[in-house]
Amino acid sequence: MKIETTLAGSYPKLPTSPGDINLRVVKNRRDQGKATEQDVQDAVRQTTRRILEIQERAGVDLPVDGAAGWDDAQTYVARGLGGFQIAGLIRYLDTNTYYRQPEIVGPVTWKGPITVEDFRAAQAMSERPVKAFLPGPYSLYRFSKDRHEGNEGEALAAIGAALAKEAGALEEAGARWIHFEEPWLGRAHAEDAPKARAALAPLLEGRKAKTTVHVPFTAPTAVFDAIRELPWTAIGLDLREAPAGWDLLPRIPEGRTVALGLIDARNTKLEEADEVAREIARARAARPDLAYQLSTTASLEYLPADKAELKVTRLVEAARTASRNGGS
Amino acid sequence: MSRGLWTTTVGSFPKPPRLEKARQQHARGELSAEALEAMEREETIAVIKRQEAIGIDIIVDGELYRGDMTTYFAERMPGFAISNPVRSYGNRYYRKPIAVGPIRRKKPLTVDWWKFAQSQTSRPVKGMLTGPYTMMDWSFNEHYPSREAMTMDLAEAIREEAFALQEAGAKYIQIDEPALSVRPEELSLAVRAFGRVTEGLQAKTITHVCYGDFDLIYPGLLDMPVDQIDLEMANSRYDLLDRFRSHPFTKEIGYGVLDVHSHRVETKEEVKEGIRRGLEVLKPEQMYVDPDCGLKTRTVDEAFAKLEVMVQAVREIREEKGITT
Repeated sequence: MKIETTLAGSYPKLPTSPGDINLRVVKNRRDQGKATEQDVQDAVRQTTRRILEIQERAGVDLPVDGAAGWDDAQTYVARGLGGFQIAGLIRYLDTNTYYRQPEIVGPVTWKGPITVEDFRAAQAMSERPVKAFLPGPYSLYRFSKDRHEGNEGEALAAIGAALAKEAGALEEAGARWIHFEEPWLGRAHAEDAPKARAALAPLLEGRKAKTTVHVPFTAPTAVFDAIRELPWTAIGLDLREAPAGWDLLPRIPEGRTVALGLIDARNTKLEEADEVAREIARARAARPDLAYQLSTTASLEYLPADKAELKVTRLVEAARTASRNGGS
Repeated sequence: MSRGLWTTTVGSFPKPPRLEKARQQHARGELSAEALEAMEREETIAVIKRQEAIGIDIIVDGELYRGDMTTYFAERMPGFAISNPVRSYGNRYYRKPIAVGPIRRKKPLTVDWWKFAQSQTSRPVKGMLTGPYTMMDWSFNEHYPSREAMTMDLAEAIREEAFALQEAGAKYIQIDEPALSVRPEELSLAVRAFGRVTEGLQAKTITHVCYGDFDLIYPGLLDMPVDQIDLEMANSRYDLLDRFRSHPFTKEIGYGVLDVHSHRVETKEEVKEGIRRGLEVLKPEQMYVDPDCGLKTRTVDEAFAKLEVMVQAVREIREEKGITT
């Protein structure tokens, strides 16, 4: 059976070939008053095109647009929702990257499409279905500071409902697969399980598009039973940082897909395709009834652009090796 | 009358435009290493003199000769290679170390610069290092079998540098561990490695920790074998003080009162209010007032304008509360 390939999250913005548009340089020129916002927007689109071309050349089945216009994994979306303001820089978990912390200062609402134009632009550049990318509601809440007077349950439900509307708008724009990034599910405790479920349920129920709930860095062991029956298509697991994810395989409902995060997005060391193929075979042997994708463990943006490109190539090589082996 | 509320800064200062330009010229091969270093020394003297003029009690050299706080050290230590740029936020990038072999300290990393800086002032100059846990966590690892093995090798190397700084005369040695606050399950490893660095050191030891989730590591943070922990207070609107009410902060504290990621210069009243709030739960003799973090992301004018406000606010609070240095 063919192993489908995909990436998780964003992708490095810098070019690897001389002459390619350099978004960093254009933004610096904008900051110096030498380029316009339109120049930046054009550079974002050209960067998106390059990110998609890299994946297409390598043969990635379900490419991502790389979130070329995003400053970090949270604020691009939080900024577009009602009820949020954006505050100071804070470290993004243990990644040595930063994000501006969203603050909840009023009822969270969906004011209109936030990522839809980006998705449309990316999909128009690719023959393959582009996987749309949104922060997960549980993580968006946990990454934020709640300064509103409402209670935690209300805020989680409101964020889930707002992101559900964004997901609906993406579906209307043609998105066939939507990826929700949920790093905080791996850090949640058992007592958080009902909250995680309450945040995800409105997002996943009734979706026309296929959905991935991706949990980088840590396995969602403590809350998995609470979310396992929700109607997600795929669960994304980081099996490099969190080998405990292997223990979740027996608990995954029949007929679902597992995005096996076996290409390490946080280390430059390149995996061996044969070794990765053997790990895929291990999963197939344990649960032959499930479908599998081969994925990066997390956003490839934790790597320099040259190394990220090598990882994309290796991802496809490993999946092809595994597909040829047929699980043996 | 009590003593306390000394003023200091966390480490880095902004590089003046002429130095930024010179670094770029050097990177392109258009300026010699000697010419660049001469300019770095001129600007280091300027930073020291401005800190003296403002009235900062404990001086830093400004790190104008350094790029990233891990890469500077990695470039000088066998066992490391350096990656192409990786994004840290928005449009900010840095080159990240890659462990490709056993990491060692073969030569002094900062001692010559410390000696130079100390020779320019009668005030104490802090020795500034990056801690072993942060060096490990902020590097790629293509060599070591475990995070622990890499951290402990780094601890030996950084320990050698810390003792070399002490030997040279440093009375304050700051060993930054900003990565400490994000992986609570590894706090014990970070504490053990830090203990190896500081074991037997007579100098006052400081560590700077920032931009993380303190709920995860406090009060375990107080186990760090260090005299002073430097924290960003202003950026989090002094929320940490509530934690200190429920579990007292038992060490000296570097008390950050300036948001280094904001262009806005704080008002004196804001800073005074932040210090007053701190004095509700901390003793003045515990407190070293400083910015939240290194100032290198500000412009030169912003950085010194912020520091002038800070020092003036501290002076007025000292007078108000009858505190001497």
